[in-house]
Amino acid sequence: MKINKYFLILILFFLSQFTFVYGANKAELVDEISKNLRCLICQGQSIYDSNSDFAESMKILILRKISEGKNKKEIYEFLKSKYGDWIVYEPTFNKHTYFLWLLPLILFIFGGILILKKTLKVK
Amino acid sequence: MISNYIGFYALSFGLIISVLIIIKSIFFLKKNNEDKSKNFFSLLSSQFTLIIISFFSLIYSFVNSDFSNNTVFNHSHTTKPLFYKISGTWGNHEGSLLLWLLVLTFFILIFFLKSRNLKLSYRVFTIFFQQIIIFGFILFIIFTSNPFGILYPIPEQGLGLNPILQDPLLAIHPPILYIGYVGTSIIFSSSLAALVTRSMNQVWAKHIKKWIFASWIFLTLGIMLGSIWAYYELGWGGFWFWDPVENVSLMPWFCLTALIHTISVLEKRNMLQSWTFMLSIMTFSLSMSGTFLVRSGILNSIHTFANDPSRGLFILVFLFVLILLSIFIFFTYYENIKIRKIQFLFISKETSILLNNWFLMYFLSVVLIGTVYPIFLEAFTNEKISVGEPFYQKLITPFMVPFLILMALAPNIKWIKNKIEKLNIKILTLFIINLFLSFYIVKLTNTKYLFATLLITSAFFLFLISLRDVLNTNSLMSQRISHFAFSIFILSILFNSIFTKEFNSNMSVGDEMKFFNGTIKFLKINIYEENNYQNIKGTFKFKNSRNNNIYFEPEIRIYNQPNISTSEADIKTNLFTDNILNFNLINDKEYFSVRYQYKPLMFWVWISTFFIAFGGALTFIRKK
Repeated sequence: MKINKYFLILILFFLSQFTFVYGANKAELVDEISKNLRCLICQGQSIYDSNSDFAESMKILILRKISEGKNKKEIYEFLKSKYGDWIVYEPTFNKHTYFLWLLPLILFIFGGILILKKTLKVK
Repeated sequence: MISNYIGFYALSFGLIISVLIIIKSIFFLKKNNEDKSKNFFSLLSSQFTLIIISFFSLIYSFVNSDFSNNTVFNHSHTTKPLFYKISGTWGNHEGSLLLWLLVLTFFILIFFLKSRNLKLSYRVFTIFFQQIIIFGFILFIIFTSNPFGILYPIPEQGLGLNPILQDPLLAIHPPILYIGYVGTSIIFSSSLAALVTRSMNQVWAKHIKKWIFASWIFLTLGIMLGSIWAYYELGWGGFWFWDPVENVSLMPWFCLTALIHTISVLEKRNMLQSWTFMLSIMTFSLSMSGTFLVRSGILNSIHTFANDPSRGLFILVFLFVLILLSIFIFFTYYENIKIRKIQFLFISKETSILLNNWFLMYFLSVVLIGTVYPIFLEAFTNEKISVGEPFYQKLITPFMVPFLILMALAPNIKWIKNKIEKLNIKILTLFIINLFLSFYIVKLTNTKYLFATLLITSAFFLFLISLRDVLNTNSLMSQRISHFAFSIFILSILFNSIFTKEFNSNMSVGDEMKFFNGTIKFLKINIYEENNYQNIKGTFKFKNSRNNNIYFEPEIRIYNQPNISTSEADIKTNLFTDNILNFNLINDKEYFSVRYQYKPLMFWVWISTFFIAFGGALTFIRKK
């Protein structure tokens, strides 16, 4: 019981210490968003990393959207509707990507069951 | 001109010898004639010699800029420095396959010489399977990627090598990586042979372990060299982009790492034969499909420098045949594995190794699915999606926490069984102290995630425990050094990602910019004409908050052949931080885009990877 109390205090302590930082400035937000976007005319570069005309104009577009008061999610949605899912590096979780996101986890659980079976077998 | 013919005929004779060896080994295995192993040696060594001749005649054509050779014409140029003419031999699809083949034939020869103490039938079977691979490869080279295609009339000048490939690191990165890849082919052939000849036992484990370690060491170093190259050549300040081609080299690495651990269970306890077999098949299939994915051009990647669907199809069919063959052999000879009904106790080294495999296979599945899923999705539904860093981070990093803790604790668990000691107060306290420490680091740096705390905690935990192990024990030094180095690797990556700072701006000569920890002044640009490129060299003065001056001289190189410009970052490395500055042309503009990056602990990322591999190398040095 002592240990439990100890841990509870510890957890409360941690939670109390956490202040989440919000409200990064616009330029930082542009950087953050453009890092997760593919530069469509480049080979394997993000918009953040590219200096191509396309990337530069996208950065301006993102900045404009932020100034209009759009949040991150809305901007991603807007770009996806305009350029397709190909532009975002983080695949959306929808009917096309259920397997992409869940299959590794299913395999992990399956592997865990196999190992449990092997180790917990009664003699 | 003549070297084309020499190279091509040497290759063709290599194919004939391959057929001879296959026929000979079939006859041999039918009659089981024990004293004719010498003939195999002469056949194998002459095959190797022929491939060497073929390979060197290609190098010869490159060195002499013999543009009657199609490959040389497509990938070389007279103004290219000699060093890159030579390395250009394997900087392209055709030449790199010839290098694959060279290593394949070399390895089977080495295998034959180094396996004298094993059953002859096992050795011959290994040769047999290996020759099937060699046969397929030579066919592949001759029919889809002949490096000795002849051009007539002979062109005056070649098309040149992609400038980002003109780099000393990229000259050695492919050979090292290929040695790792091709090493897995020996593991593959030998597992098949061992299964067929009933020799999948402790003696075999001890023998094949060396090949597993050797492949793993080269693969590790190969991946590292590729990352270092990406880090300084691509100039984005990152070293891993989850690019499909990078993923493809990481997948066999996960498999080999799992195999390294599993083979010791087979060696010490004579268990897990079928799992070892499956891992061996998987490792090689992944190395092969890596070649398939890269060469077929279906991947959108900066590395893909050959697009030809027929090549991809050939490798796919070939791979399919090999996998079918191994499945067939597995089910036919399954009974050769003596299944020992042994209980795995929950707390034992065996189980901990199973857990290690469990995590590694999970990481493998994430990377594999993330890499191939978009290809299939596009083929079936025409939906095009990108799977990038956020995906891998979300699925891999949470699992790193238990993985690292396991990695710290498991090496000290004993074989067969281990009593659960009273909860080890020392270790628990250590863990809690870690938790506090990491928490404050995360808090000080304003990182938002509770998760980062856990990750750093577990990495520190591994660091301290494995440090203690390195200092306290004499045995198993190789394993302990690798684990310790891995903890440094993870910590460096974590702190690197937390403390990295960047500054971007457009600047023209004379501008001065202030930012978070200093000022940058754009002093001047100089333009030089080099042999095969025009060099625009900028000079920047960076003054940090402590008034230290650093001068950066990044370059923009505009190559003549082919006409591509590259940006060469200037990286100032010291023990704890890298300062990087690069600049780029902007179309039709007077100014440049300038990017300054502050990246801590990069040196430690590289040095720790080196020591991970070095730990593996110690197994060859220390013998009892």
